[in-house]
Amino acid sequence: MSPTDAARTFPSPHSVETPPGAEGWQELYPYYTLLSDATKDEEERELWFFDGMHNPSAIYPFDTIMTENWWVACNQLTTRVWQIPPSWGIDHRIINGYLYISPRGVSDPQQIAERAEHFARRAGHYYTNWDEIYDNWIAKAEDCIGRLKAIEFTPLPDREKEEHVTSHRGLYSSYDLLTSYDRLIENLFEMGAYHFEMLNLGYGAYLTFKEFCQQAFPGITDQTVARMVAGIDILLFRPDDEVRKLARLAVELGLADLVRDTADADALLAAIGAAPRGDEWLKALEEAKDPWFWYSTGAGYTHTDRAWIDDLRLPFTAMRGYIDKLEAGEDIARPLERVLEERTRITAEYRDLLATDGDREAFDDLVQLARTVYPYVENHNFYVEHWHHSIFWSKVRELGDVFVAHGFLADREDIFLLHRNEIHSALYDLIVGWAAGTGGRGPHYWPPIVEGRRAKLEALRGWTPPPALGTPPEAITEPLTIMLWGITTESVQEWLGASDPDALELRGVAASPGKARGPARVVTDPEQLHDVQRGDILVCRVTAPSWAPVFSRLGAAVSDVGGIMAHTAIVSREYGLPAVVGTGYGTQTIKTGQMIEVDGDTGIVRILEEGAV
Amino acid sequence: MTTALRTVVWIDRPEGAGAELLGGKLGSLVEMTEAGFDVPPAFGITTDAFTVFAESIDLQRIVKERCAGLDLDDLQAVERVSAELAKVIEEAELPRRLVADITAAYEQLEQKTGTPGLPVAVRSSGVSEDLEGASFAGQYDTYLWVCGIDDVLANVRRCWSGVFGPQVLTYRPQDGVPVVDGETLPGMCVGVQQMVQARAAGVMFTLDPLNGDRSKIVLEGCWGLGEGVVKGDVTPDRFRVDKVTLELLASEIGVQAQEYGFDEATREVALLPVEPQRGERPCLSDEEVVAIAELGKRIERHRGVPMDMEWAVDQDGRLHLLQARPETVWAGKPVRSVTGEAGGGAVDRVVAKFLSFGGGTGQ
Repeated sequence: MSPTDAARTFPSPHSVETPPGAEGWQELYPYYTLLSDATKDEEERELWFFDGMHNPSAIYPFDTIMTENWWVACNQLTTRVWQIPPSWGIDHRIINGYLYISPRGVSDPQQIAERAEHFARRAGHYYTNWDEIYDNWIAKAEDCIGRLKAIEFTPLPDREKEEHVTSHRGLYSSYDLLTSYDRLIENLFEMGAYHFEMLNLGYGAYLTFKEFCQQAFPGITDQTVARMVAGIDILLFRPDDEVRKLARLAVELGLADLVRDTADADALLAAIGAAPRGDEWLKALEEAKDPWFWYSTGAGYTHTDRAWIDDLRLPFTAMRGYIDKLEAGEDIARPLERVLEERTRITAEYRDLLATDGDREAFDDLVQLARTVYPYVENHNFYVEHWHHSIFWSKVRELGDVFVAHGFLADREDIFLLHRNEIHSALYDLIVGWAAGTGGRGPHYWPPIVEGRRAKLEALRGWTPPPALGTPPEAITEPLTIMLWGITTESVQEWLGASDPDALELRGVAASPGKARGPARVVTDPEQLHDVQRGDILVCRVTAPSWAPVFSRLGAAVSDVGGIMAHTAIVSREYGLPAVVGTGYGTQTIKTGQMIEVDGDTGIVRILEEGAV
Repeated sequence: MTTALRTVVWIDRPEGAGAELLGGKLGSLVEMTEAGFDVPPAFGITTDAFTVFAESIDLQRIVKERCAGLDLDDLQAVERVSAELAKVIEEAELPRRLVADITAAYEQLEQKTGTPGLPVAVRSSGVSEDLEGASFAGQYDTYLWVCGIDDVLANVRRCWSGVFGPQVLTYRPQDGVPVVDGETLPGMCVGVQQMVQARAAGVMFTLDPLNGDRSKIVLEGCWGLGEGVVKGDVTPDRFRVDKVTLELLASEIGVQAQEYGFDEATREVALLPVEPQRGERPCLSDEEVVAIAELGKRIERHRGVPMDMEWAVDQDGRLHLLQARPETVWAGKPVRSVTGEAGGGAVDRVVAKFLSFGGGTGQ
């Protein structure tokens, strides 16, 4: 291989070395997620890029349920349902515990033409009936969430209840435990399928409008296009709206000082409970929590993405900020009317700039379609990743408690070190042991496995996944890869040229305008968010909308991954924070404490001298 | 006739005077002043004043004689005739009435601004200039930092002789007929305007002059007087602003080693050195760029067509409008359609978009 060729490819996925201490990591994951010698040639011919957007860290064995889910749910839509003409979906491999994904194109023109015919008819049906299908989608999603909530896991009783005898049901706790688990898993796959039902089409309609605008008004920013389309009743803003309401109520009820002075969340709840009229506030909190605090602190794809409802520190931090503003006489309500007026004004002004009646007609049609699909594009995220997934993780923890009660695991969190299929076996072991009175093999079998895996995962977490492996194709043609991850032929070239860890300049996508300088705060685990100081520049693999309370303290945000439609770009802009996403190497290149400069207009991040002002 | 004759017209009191009396530039400043934009105070020495002068020396006859048989392709001959006519205009005695009217107006300007010997800009404002598709930009004259009535009068004459400058004599619009042929004299007004002591100045188009994109406002600015940008001998800072949202989309900042300003030693406007620290900085803050663009947007909205403007920011940071005229390059071209002939509804376009990811199978 000549030096030129070497520069045009990434390292082979098969050449990646296992970090010390993680030897044998493959046993954490199912065989079909791993690279294999049998398929080596094929794997080396493809481009694999690190999906830090959904799985920023090494994946827990149980959490592969999410990646495995979308491996099917996303691809079946692309490949078998819509027949998106140039795409054969997105393949997966787990490499050193991290998810790498590979966009697959269709190149045979005849095949593309055949698929196009089906796609036009099928997609056309959805676009034409979008509102009705979306209403029905909400009903399905809420029903699915309702059934998930109803699933309960409790330890098996020493003695079955009397009514299980007198009701002649003939089925007992072991059956309920086993089938509840089956229903839990089915429920996740059901929601996973809904998640993708309208997603590709929604992004496609939005992207078509965006590109029309970019052609007509060269240089128009992504933010401006989004402002023409976005509504105000975005569910992702609701949790924050609820926090504003609670801040207002705390001031009204004279609880502001308590909230400000009590840092610990549990202590604060107790103090409010003891305060006069504190019960009114606690009641309001309870009402807000369901569903709005089922709001993940991450992308919702890993169990480590805790929700606000599990950890009230983030919403309480935000509430303190709002209380300060209220007491300073500021209006903290979101200016909804102004946002809508601006949307109307901007849209009308751009429309007037178009040349012909034909252009204006196309613009009207496309903005209308984009506005039709946008509620789904924005809101599916709350239903699926936040509301559903947060409850899902809490149910798995409930099951973890059952294993702890029966001595299979030492801690409820240990359940995430087992793959879902292994849990099926463990449950059978458990009910056998319960029924036969032997206690099962589990208490001896699982704890050493759990400990071994914990050590391997720890070693994998110390490894930094490179953004890409394998051979780049001539062009990236897979629509979702371009629309959601922001990965294009150009950005891959950029990575090929820029993989220098000593580089002082990083390029990414300009996601939110403005310039800022400040000390870098590298965050690779949501827990590190609590260290953020005012004026810090957040550097992370990916941001999550629920980090919003911290955003008000930031000077700017930088992420390794993310495209124009990434969940977080919208919220970053809402907070008026300069942001550059998709830098590829930000968390590897930048160190906490370094002075950096973020240019949200050009997408450039510069490392200034360490410690310099 | 003599009672109706108006030799001097103030831009803030036109009393019905339009472009016919004031020429394009001054006429446009009247309109901008009426619309409430911040235009430095100015008066025009009208086309009638020029006529009074021309008749007093029978200028038309002289022009006709000198131009008779002149070969417009013979540049040397054209330059000779031009110089002869200039000499005639600069040496002729001014009618007493004109001297009195212009002196009174300049004194009024001195009083208005509280500055004896007020520096002014003296500019020609031709009747055909700016109004038609053909812009006369650069073909008439501007004299800066003119102080005192004697210099004002001398530069008014220079503006009048500019009507017979070689570029004007040889200028033939699309129909091929020269503007100056001695049969009629072109209307010429001369504007006298308070100098803005500019910290930074430049031009602005309410479209992208490179591609005609009407959703942008493009500014070029330099330190000091705007001559640097207009003449092109200072590489200006360039700013692109979104016309709808007024976001600053791009800035290209050059290093400016020189700026136009008043040289106390020679008592005239010259290229002066700029301290390196300042020369490396943008000549405008982002907020100033947006404020200027916002002014451009309001003016375009007022006139209803894309505009070409000159602006200045004075030492106190106040923004002044110096010139505003319709843009002429892209105005004459057909607007570019995005969709072309391709029809189809939104769904067809989205389907085509998905196909295009495959590399050209779509539209």
